[in-house]
Amino acid sequence: MNSIAAYFYVYKIRIQKSLAYHYDVYGNILMQCIIMFAAAFFWRALYAGETVVQGVEAEQMYIYTVISTAMSVFFMNDVEQRVMRSVEKGTIAVEMLKPINLYGIFFFEDLGKLTALLFQNLIPILLIGSIFIAVPKPASAMAFLLFIVSLIMAYLIHWLLAACFSMWAFVTINMTPLLQVKKHLIRLLSGSIIPLWFFPDWLASVLNCLPFVYIYQLPLDIYIGKASMENLILRLGIQAVWVVVLLVLFVVLQKIAVKKVMVQGG
Amino acid sequence: MLSSIKHYTSVTWEYLKLSILTVFEYPANMIGWLISNPLQFIVGFATIQFVVKEFGDISGWNYGQLAFLYGLAIISHALSMIFFVQGWFMGFFVIEGDFDRYMLRPMNVLYQFCFTHFNLIGITDLIPGICVFVYGCIQVGFVFNLRNIVALLAILVGATFIRGGVYIIIGSSTFWTKSVADFGGYTQEFFDKTTMYPLSMYPESVQFILTFVIPIGWVSFYPAAELMGLSKDAFMPGVAPLISLGAGAAVFAVAAVIFYMGLKRYESAGS
Repeated sequence: MNSIAAYFYVYKIRIQKSLAYHYDVYGNILMQCIIMFAAAFFWRALYAGETVVQGVEAEQMYIYTVISTAMSVFFMNDVEQRVMRSVEKGTIAVEMLKPINLYGIFFFEDLGKLTALLFQNLIPILLIGSIFIAVPKPASAMAFLLFIVSLIMAYLIHWLLAACFSMWAFVTINMTPLLQVKKHLIRLLSGSIIPLWFFPDWLASVLNCLPFVYIYQLPLDIYIGKASMENLILRLGIQAVWVVVLLVLFVVLQKIAVKKVMVQGG
Repeated sequence: MLSSIKHYTSVTWEYLKLSILTVFEYPANMIGWLISNPLQFIVGFATIQFVVKEFGDISGWNYGQLAFLYGLAIISHALSMIFFVQGWFMGFFVIEGDFDRYMLRPMNVLYQFCFTHFNLIGITDLIPGICVFVYGCIQVGFVFNLRNIVALLAILVGATFIRGGVYIIIGSSTFWTKSVADFGGYTQEFFDKTTMYPLSMYPESVQFILTFVIPIGWVSFYPAAELMGLSKDAFMPGVAPLISLGAGAAVFAVAAVIFYMGLKRYESAGS
């Protein structure tokens, strides 16, 4: 019970911190808007002579763009940077002495940051997108509900992947390039910019076996109503399996990493 | 005059040697970027192909022409990373009082800022740039004769200075705001979106601004259109590479003026 109060405290402090350092926020909005507008014009140029491509209309593609940009707010976690800094400074040892789980603290910090970002970034992006690009209407009320479910699982998949990656920091000094590789792969291979239905079949089937597509592509497909209900339910099931698999991997890796740090400390 | 040029180049040479030594000091870092940067651009470009295959072209540009444009844009991006990346971090120079050092030395401050740092990690961006560009050249049947090579060099020098000038202009804002902001992310995002894709896909108002106000169109779009003979998108045909060079000089001159205006407001570090 005590630890829940402690996590809630961490969560609250992180929200307050985000609200205090609000100048980062404008930069983020600017960057997301550049990405959103460029993508919208990209699709407009492509759809110039077409009406329906791969069963998708231009209007759906604009909604896809707005929602994809808005979703990126959910994937601005700090856990990797946070661990990297703590290992560099050596404060990780003190943080591990605390009577609550180390990664529990990071998770609630990220949730706190996300809560602040919902107001600071998500709402402005949705407003700007609705005014200038397209009002992002979901395919149906049911689609919206399933989208929310899928988005929560997508958040967990992305966070657990980041947490597993962050443990590299215990063994390597500079993992910035590694994080860049991961960031670009997620961006390009998760359907965040170019949807998977344009990819060649062999590549799409490879990607369907990896967790990345369950970060962006599945929630977006649900939102714009791209696939049949049975197909979506099946993929939601696979998404849930990925959450469990990554959770197990995370727990195992954490056990190993903790020992590693103790060796270095001694 | 001659002796001062000799002096400046000798200083630059010494710093270049230091940069090379730094790379060898941390080889793992370089190797990390050597994987990360090419991957980013090559995978990025490959995914565009999937879309172009479906739709045929973007704004009238086929895949080979897009490769030419994309490659040219990455090469000048890489060059600007090597010479001018510190513009992205000017806030740290201002807050931490790093300009003190430059101002005390008997050398031009802007020169020192630009040409005593060499970010050799930028070379890792050159590799995918050259790969994609060569692929594009083969696809569009680009001929490497003397005229075209001179034109390419003019474009790349101009484009690098346009980018560098913009980085310095944005970075100089920190002389007024005194904030430690990292402008890298959105500067790169903005340049990527405007130089790697045909400018003609944007609304005319945006095209106008990017042609005459912030001349980013001259980084890759107009000169590429001219070199490939795409008359629909060529602008100022015959002299586009020269305009790129001129635009580079103009942007950099404006950057220098703003930089020195800002430097007058520079207060060094707190204590």
